[in-house]
Amino acid sequence: MITGSGINMNNDLSPILLIEDRLTDLDLTRRAFERRRLLNPIHVARDGEQALAYIERWEAGERPPVFILLDLGLPKISGLEVLRQLKNHPKSCGIPVVVLTTSAEDRDIDEAYKLGCNSYIVKPVEFTKFIDVAAQIEIYWCLLNRTPRSV
Amino acid sequence: MKAIRSISVWLGLGMIPVVIGLALLLSPASLLGEPHNRTYRVLVLYWDNKDFPGNVKFDESFKAVLQQFQYSGNVEYYPEYMETTRFPGKSQNFLGDYLRQKYEGKPIDVVVASADLPLSFLLRNREEVFPKSPLVFVATNSPNVETLAADPGMTGLIHQSTHRETLALALRLHPNTTQVFVISGSPERDKRFETVARRELSAFTNQVEITYLTDLPLNELISQTASFPSNSIAMYVWQQAMDEQGKLLETFDVLARIAPTASVPIYGMGEGNFGEGLVGGYLQGADSNGAKLAEITLRILSGTRPQDIGVEGAPTLPRFDWRQLKRWDISENRLPRGSIIGFRQFTFWERYKWRILGIAALFFLQSLFIAVLLIERKRRQRANRSLDRLNAELEERIAARTAALKAKSRELETFAYSVAHDLKAPLRGIDGYSRLLLDDHAADLNAEGQYFLKTIQGSTIEMSQLIDDLLEYSRLERREFKPGRLELGPLITSVIEQKKREAEAADCDIDFVVSVNGGSIVADANGLIQSLKNYLDNAIKFTRKVPQPCIEIGSKENTKNVLVWVHDNGVGFDMKYHERIFNIFQRLDPGDEYPGTGVGLAIVRKSMERMGGRAWAESEPGRGATFYLEIPK
Repeated sequence: MITGSGINMNNDLSPILLIEDRLTDLDLTRRAFERRRLLNPIHVARDGEQALAYIERWEAGERPPVFILLDLGLPKISGLEVLRQLKNHPKSCGIPVVVLTTSAEDRDIDEAYKLGCNSYIVKPVEFTKFIDVAAQIEIYWCLLNRTPRSV
Repeated sequence: MKAIRSISVWLGLGMIPVVIGLALLLSPASLLGEPHNRTYRVLVLYWDNKDFPGNVKFDESFKAVLQQFQYSGNVEYYPEYMETTRFPGKSQNFLGDYLRQKYEGKPIDVVVASADLPLSFLLRNREEVFPKSPLVFVATNSPNVETLAADPGMTGLIHQSTHRETLALALRLHPNTTQVFVISGSPERDKRFETVARRELSAFTNQVEITYLTDLPLNELISQTASFPSNSIAMYVWQQAMDEQGKLLETFDVLARIAPTASVPIYGMGEGNFGEGLVGGYLQGADSNGAKLAEITLRILSGTRPQDIGVEGAPTLPRFDWRQLKRWDISENRLPRGSIIGFRQFTFWERYKWRILGIAALFFLQSLFIAVLLIERKRRQRANRSLDRLNAELEERIAARTAALKAKSRELETFAYSVAHDLKAPLRGIDGYSRLLLDDHAADLNAEGQYFLKTIQGSTIEMSQLIDDLLEYSRLERREFKPGRLELGPLITSVIEQKKREAEAADCDIDFVVSVNGGSIVADANGLIQSLKNYLDNAIKFTRKVPQPCIEIGSKENTKNVLVWVHDNGVGFDMKYHERIFNIFQRLDPGDEYPGTGVGLAIVRKSMERMGGRAWAESEPGRGATFYLEIPK
């Protein structure tokens, strides 16, 4: 079992993008990552518009994230729409997107996978489970997964 | 009139059937006494040769009536011919000898004289030839009273002149007549027919002009009759004549020659001329005489004495030739009552009237039937159209309502989604920060504070579970069930394997016994799996406190259904709560003893309902419980 510190040679210091409108969820996610001692910088988008604005910044040369955590219930532009645009943009289509949301609806799951999400995880209510989830995400997406070099 | 017409249908062949009819009416049967087993002999003496037409007709009608005799099988008929025309002027004495010798030993019961000549011959030779035979005759003049009364007796018919009746009849039918041509003649040129006619018709001389054409040569006669003036008629009495080859033409032959070109209608009295061009008249002749004499003969054979049968006039009847009536445009309605019409030619219509009418009626009925059917069809089509219209309207309404329902359903989905999202998010906050408080600030809290925080966490998780179950339940309503073919064995096994792992993870030592005998079924996989899981969860939960928990899972099938059961040796329940446990939020135990939301079994029942199956349970307190699923195949 991999129990590494979360420092990955390939994605060293690449940021993680959290797209989440609720402050508590944001804070808990951050703390969960902290508990895993994940040192990657965390970028935050509080709504759909802010999320899509990142694409321009990556085009301008800013370092793209190692993966994106996406909530579906977002103000202004829905999470699924954000997902669609991310996956349709050449600059962002290679970035793994993990949907982390409260909804366990089949409809949402189907739609998210159709639009190209890389993983779909239902947010656990219990904080301890939440930390487990954060750990799994980190291990998988930061340590194991390889993304295309062009991105 | 109708009856007469129908009788006259047959009269192309003459009067025979009428005579037969008369004979039937006057049937001698009633006059006959005891059965006669002896042979009756009837002899008819004809004046001319055998094939003379008058003789032929007499012979036919005479025999026809004899057939009506009750013992006709015992009657022997002997015709004898004098052949006076072929052998004129000869003494007939040898004939007397001939007949006497011939019929010696064969006594004749009735001797018939068919004309004047045979009668006078018989009167002369009767004593020698047929001394014991009654005599029946037809003649122009009646013998005197003494002769008639002399044993063995005689009776008969006297020819009647019908000149007057016939002319009166003709004048009634042709009221504008001013001139009458009377045609007669004989090879002897003795004017005997003209003489009789003049005498008979003298009464008409002040009414019409009567012209006698007597003994004219054939050619002259033909040309004259062809140019008779209108308003005239002709009376054909008797006319023999020589043809171009010098051969003697009989009176009916002559008539046949002149009639086709005649310019006016020809009436006459001689039956022998009937059918040769006569319009008609009161006819006399061999036909009716023969029949009448036969009747008299039968009466004598039946035992009536000839003396008791009065001498009568020969029968005369108004008779008409249908073809001539048509030719001269004479309406049948104007003919005297009782007239007989012969030679009727039926038009196609008359011949086939009833068949045509029958077929027409059939056609009409069929048409009527078809019309009724068509109308019925039309009505049905109309009804169908309005039904279609109604259906279309109904479908529109259903579609509208369905759309409204779908909108409502979407609204509900959104609502459920929001509930899930928005109710659970704060729970995460509560749980997360309680955890953080416990983890990071435990030193700042005393034991009671820590207990409070743990309670908060427990409640949060309970709340979260409740929300999940609620969502699951509401999802059942909204979700589309997709029936597919499922292999029951592998499906049950995989569910059990998962539950085994969960049980092991929770340190529960449960014995699982599986006996699955079920093939494939058509059902919604998610619904079935969910139901099985919930049953197993239920079983696991209520066996937690028994010493050796054991859960048996089994299935069997019949023709219609597959039955799946989950039996546990847990605490069981009282059957009076059976319905309650399947209702949502209903629990039989306090929540802290057997934690749960009271939704699991409600979900099972709802799933089964959606699949067309059933869910129920059997139990006794302390004796475990068996939960059943019944799924249609």
